[in-house]
Amino acid sequence: MATLPIKNKIRELRFFADEMTQQELAELVGVTRQTIMAIEKCKYSPTLEIAFKIAEVFGQSIDEVFQYHSV
Amino acid sequence: MNMSFREKSIWISLISTLVVFGDYFFNIISLVGMPEELAKTIALELSIRALFLIISIEIIFQGLLAVSNHKAAKFGTDERDKLFEYRGNNIGYAVLVIGVFLTLGSIVVLEINPSLIEQFKVMKIPLFTAHVLLFSFIFSEVIRFSSQLYYYRSSH
Repeated sequence: MATLPIKNKIRELRFFADEMTQQELAELVGVTRQTIMAIEKCKYSPTLEIAFKIAEVFGQSIDEVFQYHSV
Repeated sequence: MNMSFREKSIWISLISTLVVFGDYFFNIISLVGMPEELAKTIALELSIRALFLIISIEIIFQGLLAVSNHKAAKFGTDERDKLFEYRGNNIGYAVLVIGVFLTLGSIVVLEINPSLIEQFKVMKIPLFTAHVLLFSFIFSEVIRFSSQLYYYRSSH
């Protein structure tokens, strides 16, 4: 599966959130750690609901966390 | 390998299906040439054994997986698991439909030309139509599990 056009800053945001682990973020959002890992690597595009939840965890707006890069 | 609980569970189902039904169909094919009544009795015994084995293996291994990943088992599935399950089901369903039509085709062809049974040795498998249908189902299950695993591996 190729890298998807939706990029994100989750890794960076985790770093600035006291090195929050993928597991911690996964538990806060309600998905598995593997899903967070796939989202971070741009191998899976989350639903809007999960995208909003991730943005909410970091106190950011959704477009600050996720960006669409057309191919 | 970094696998989610759901992915491990699918691996168990895929391997157990391949082992149990691979052995079953191998034994069924080896019944060709036996007296019909004897072959039917053995086929019935083999099918009961396969059913018992697949249920036992699934219960034991899925149970062990759930015990060793208690937290993940309790969590269940997330949206990514559901998406891959949905995609896998679609592919598996298409394969099953093809299998059902092949079974229907074989029934019609044998009705029109019963002498084909004498020409093709493979058609002498005991309970031939039931086995074509069972093979279609098992094959669709294997494709369903494999495609789900493909999506998991490629989005890793």
